[in-house]
Amino acid sequence: MGLLPAILRDALKTLFKAVFKRPATARYPERPSEVHVPDGFRGRHWLDLGRCVGCGLCAKDCPTGAIRMVRLDVPITGLHKQRKRMTPLRVPVIDLAHCIFCCQCAESCPKKAIRPTKLFSLVATDPHDLVLDFRPMAMLKEVLEEH
Amino acid sequence: MSLDLLERELGEAVLAERVQGPRRAEVRLARDRHLQALKALRAAFPELRLSAITGTDLGQELELLYHLRVGGSILTLRTGVPKEEPMVATITGLVPGADLHEREVYDMLGITFEGHPNLKRLLLPDDAPESFHPLRKEVEARTIRPVETSPVLQPVITAESGRYLTLVIGPQHPALHEPERFVFLVEGEVVVDVDIRIGYAHRGIEEAAERRDYIHNIYLCERVCGICNVAHSMCFCSAVEELLGLEVPARARYLRVVAAELNRLHSHMLLLGVAAEEMGFSTLFMYIWRDREAVMDLMEMLTGNRVISSFNRIGGVSRDMTPELARKMRSRLPELKERLEHYLEVFTTDPTILARTEKVGLLSRQKAIDYCAAGPTLRASGVDFDVRRDDPYAAYEELSAMRVVVRPEGDNLARYVARLEECLVSVDLIDEALEKLPDGPVRVKAPRRVPPDEVIYTVEAPRGELLYYVRSDGTTRPARVKIRTPTFTNLAALREMLRGAYLADVPVTLASIDPCFSCTDRVVVVDVRDGTARACGLWELARGRPPAREGA
Repeated sequence: MGLLPAILRDALKTLFKAVFKRPATARYPERPSEVHVPDGFRGRHWLDLGRCVGCGLCAKDCPTGAIRMVRLDVPITGLHKQRKRMTPLRVPVIDLAHCIFCCQCAESCPKKAIRPTKLFSLVATDPHDLVLDFRPMAMLKEVLEEH
Repeated sequence: MSLDLLERELGEAVLAERVQGPRRAEVRLARDRHLQALKALRAAFPELRLSAITGTDLGQELELLYHLRVGGSILTLRTGVPKEEPMVATITGLVPGADLHEREVYDMLGITFEGHPNLKRLLLPDDAPESFHPLRKEVEARTIRPVETSPVLQPVITAESGRYLTLVIGPQHPALHEPERFVFLVEGEVVVDVDIRIGYAHRGIEEAAERRDYIHNIYLCERVCGICNVAHSMCFCSAVEELLGLEVPARARYLRVVAAELNRLHSHMLLLGVAAEEMGFSTLFMYIWRDREAVMDLMEMLTGNRVISSFNRIGGVSRDMTPELARKMRSRLPELKERLEHYLEVFTTDPTILARTEKVGLLSRQKAIDYCAAGPTLRASGVDFDVRRDDPYAAYEELSAMRVVVRPEGDNLARYVARLEECLVSVDLIDEALEKLPDGPVRVKAPRRVPPDEVIYTVEAPRGELLYYVRSDGTTRPARVKIRTPTFTNLAALREMLRGAYLADVPVTLASIDPCFSCTDRVVVVDVRDGTARACGLWELARGRPPAREGA
């Protein structure tokens, strides 16, 4: 390769690489699919109410106190029917405004009911929208299963 | 062997001695005999450095622990201080680097160090009430109220007869996110002396740690410093594991090495980029930061987050690594190494960089030891010490790629080049750790209650030796957590580097210890007639209206 000076060779190499590479930036929010979220990203939580036993370990171990245990006012029967387990009396409600996404709750959960998802967008105009309450969803499921 | 020496020198003043484990020993001394002990130790071990001074309120009395680094071991001198008369002799005469350590203890616990040249508030505001020392047990966090005082900056170094000018740099600054205030006494363009004021980001983490469970504290410690979060959480978790007597699985130890070295890579590359920009070399800054993205991606793949990793848990690590991920990570390392080698060439040959760094900010070997420097700052002054090799933790002992970078020059260039060479070692370490990655679990279950004991744990954070002292009392909460970060101990050495330097070299020198440095967005106008200093914003100066004199 004595024909080209080393510096020019480097420059050409870099240029060719850059031309055929995808852009490093993603067009977010227009094209959300371009955003690469790695496996194991610690995003918004998902609570599987069918697994939760209401032990409260997640709330106890949360370093910022973002998790509160609340009473499940309406007993949800459909959820645990197949598994022949009791409906939990209390379930966690997670305030994402306080959450630091360390996932200690997922770690502490003996039933692996809480787990992080890849959802990263936490935009809200009202802080109340950042409170993750899974009860309405469970109730909705209840209603759907009854009919 | 140092225990024998102390016993011989001090006789009955040695009240008790204890070997806590490999490379950890402790001596309890009678009151006011620590100076004598230190003198004997320094004579026997000329490379002895002070790692930290831990002060604890035991209720009835106060206790001081001097953690001394003797080779790879830590020797702790323990001495009690009565609460009625909290006074001990200063050791700054013997170890000049103890300056800030003693000020911190004075600030937090109200122990007066007799003979200390500059015993003032360090972390708390200058106008904090005289008797307020927050780590005393009688101080309740909820009773602390802000004090209404006028925000007047204390004149730090009084200017004499108009010969010197006081120049304040900081505390706000946009470059790195930790505020400090530097007050320079300059003569023309030459720095005569500098006073460093820290504490602007003081969050009371040591006190907060006593009020939280061990599990909560992992995440608290992780947030002491965002950039070297892996080092902090690893140090805390390892300390608690040692208290519990837990054996961490081999796979977890190797994964900890991978995370810690990725952390070091990203921290060093961040600094080298910022340093390039400080020198006015913006393209290099952008290139380095572009390649740093590769490290951030690897970190994200491994831990699920770019910066705050939440990777370490008590008893192991939070997640396992699949063989595909290990392969993917290893495949990206050669390119990273190639880039780093290129930057090493740039840093050692580029005339801009050489002009700004060569023979600038000199720190001699002896000064580095006297001022208790740590990490690359220490190694760039020719001291061959690295916690990873000399006091090994995680899996470093089993990795053959571990090499300590020592440079004898002691100037800015040496400190930057040492970091770059350390990056190359880090890449090799990650590669080897991934290759040798043993099978097995990544975590063992840890009990919540920790038996009463105390432990000193050190790791090599990107900026140097990081020390955690954890004392447990048998509950689920620690009784005392003392954190000594590497920048804290490097600040004393920085003062030495800056004396006699040109003002224009100050930013580059500040960056070379990898602290958080400031820019001149806040100036103090000094009245040379009475030597008072007042702060004013840059906008005031820009509008040509210096602040009115007080009382006028």
